[in-house]
Amino acid sequence: MSLVEARGLTKIFRRPEKDPGLRGSLKHLVQRRFKEFRAVDGIDLSIEAGESVAYVGPNGAGKSTTIKLLTGILVPTAGTVRVAGAEPHTDRMVNARNIGVLFGQRTQLWWDLPVRESLGLLRDMYDLSPAFYKQRLERLDDVLGLADLLPVVARKLSLGQRMRADLAAALLHAPKIVYLDEPTIGLDISVKDRVRQFLRELREDGTTLMLTTHDLGDIEDVCERIVIIDEGRKIFDGPLAQMKDRFARVRRMHLQLAEPTPAEKLAERLPDVEVVAGASPTEVTVTFDRFTHTAGQVIAAVLDVVEVGELHLDEPAIEDVVRKVYAGELLR
Amino acid sequence: MRRTLRIYRRSLGAHLRAVLEYEADFWILVVAGLLFQVLNLIFLSAVFSHVPALNGWSFPEAVLLAGTYGFINGLGPLFFEGTWRLAGKINHGELDYPLTRPAPVLVQVVSAGIGMHGIGDLIGGGAMIGWGLANSDIYWSPLRIGGALVLLAGSATILLSLIVLGNAASFWVGGNHPVFAMTLIRTGDMAKYPLSIYGVAVRAAFTVLVPYAFISFFPASWLLGKESAWIGLLTPVVAVYCVYLARLVFRRGLRRYDSAGH
Repeated sequence: MSLVEARGLTKIFRRPEKDPGLRGSLKHLVQRRFKEFRAVDGIDLSIEAGESVAYVGPNGAGKSTTIKLLTGILVPTAGTVRVAGAEPHTDRMVNARNIGVLFGQRTQLWWDLPVRESLGLLRDMYDLSPAFYKQRLERLDDVLGLADLLPVVARKLSLGQRMRADLAAALLHAPKIVYLDEPTIGLDISVKDRVRQFLRELREDGTTLMLTTHDLGDIEDVCERIVIIDEGRKIFDGPLAQMKDRFARVRRMHLQLAEPTPAEKLAERLPDVEVVAGASPTEVTVTFDRFTHTAGQVIAAVLDVVEVGELHLDEPAIEDVVRKVYAGELLR
Repeated sequence: MRRTLRIYRRSLGAHLRAVLEYEADFWILVVAGLLFQVLNLIFLSAVFSHVPALNGWSFPEAVLLAGTYGFINGLGPLFFEGTWRLAGKINHGELDYPLTRPAPVLVQVVSAGIGMHGIGDLIGGGAMIGWGLANSDIYWSPLRIGGALVLLAGSATILLSLIVLGNAASFWVGGNHPVFAMTLIRTGDMAKYPLSIYGVAVRAAFTVLVPYAFISFFPASWLLGKESAWIGLLTPVVAVYCVYLARLVFRRGLRRYDSAGH
């Protein structure tokens, strides 16, 4: 069985339906009306041990809700979840020992306590032996530079420091599976790199990762598999490379021509293909759908008109693909 | 159970150390708690300067009663202060992390803070109990001392359970502030005076509906051998019932928890 197994996972929130203004609020007190909102709508998901999965979707797609269902924070409206054999919301305590959770927008450190005290409390809750605790702290200090942060009260930490301390808190008990909800949000480039480096190391150690993010760099740096959801439904689930194949239809070729040639002249030879003049008269950029044209066909057509000096092909960027999914283009 | 208690103790200890960092704050709160009890005393002495007794309760007996109530009320901030932050936690979705840790959520909530004004209440209330006992006519035996301590423990349990119960209502009420719990607990302040001065409706409500009377009135009545003194002996039973109810309501509430955002 997979480490994480979700079948038909559904969460419906009930929202009060009020007319605007005070009158609407008063009316609602007497005549209560609610509207159902499906945040997660029948999601099937299996994650094998050791996998690193990016869970991606536009704002409000149901990413965080899924994480909250998988971690046992929320009780599903319908469907089943098993994480390492335990049902998270009923076997909460058992599940808690298997998982590490980080919500990038929020800290789990005790606000008024020094980081050291927060980690100490977690040590007690997870029943970590002194030797194991010491070893974990040393390991986490190596990769996260924790030592300087230990005596600092959580509310005095900068965002980057807080995220490092929070990562340490989430990983202190060496969990089997780690859920990260936007682990790099608001971080500057250097801290971001450090966090990604850390996540890669974690993956190499065999920890199962599931992360939601809007930062596509996180995905390419850390994950092998991508799950895209929108409006609570899964719309893609597969290897990152496969997603590029499937969705990155558009390719772009930059050509350096032997002599100045107007773009229109090339366009005549290439129906259904967009040809744009470049910065100089000898440069053009050709954008084509790789399911209707091959790169060879495009080059052949161009060579009929003019000699080509140099060319290069843009690799399909995951950013473009995900951006299109967000914009709803791929759903049509 | 032992593990739970250890987690509770460690968490409370960590917050105590944090509070003690701010010495001035600490002393101000202790003095504030103490002042509150002194005000109670001044009010009582003002009343008793006009009447020799209140429905059969002498001044020292009334001081004993108010002192017991004050003392037990000091336990709330000292040991259960975190409970008052539950409404805000629910509202902001801050129970997410506690739900992912292998420790009871209630313990994590309850121990997430400490209120030093409780010390002032304990000192002030304790002094009033001492003075009241010394000046009241009480027949003492080892059994009665033991009984008094059991009843005191029962009273404390009732109040702490009511604090949990009232705050757990926030799972249904919503909002950022524990309005319901505030109302529930402050209404109980009426129980620091002899219950017999109130009408039948209040007496019935404070005995059956919300057992405020078991926090100080009935136990003190038992110790002082007042009318229907035996009711005081029910305090431990009421305490067990309150604990059961508080846990039930908190658990039900936790299942309703919707987090924040989605």
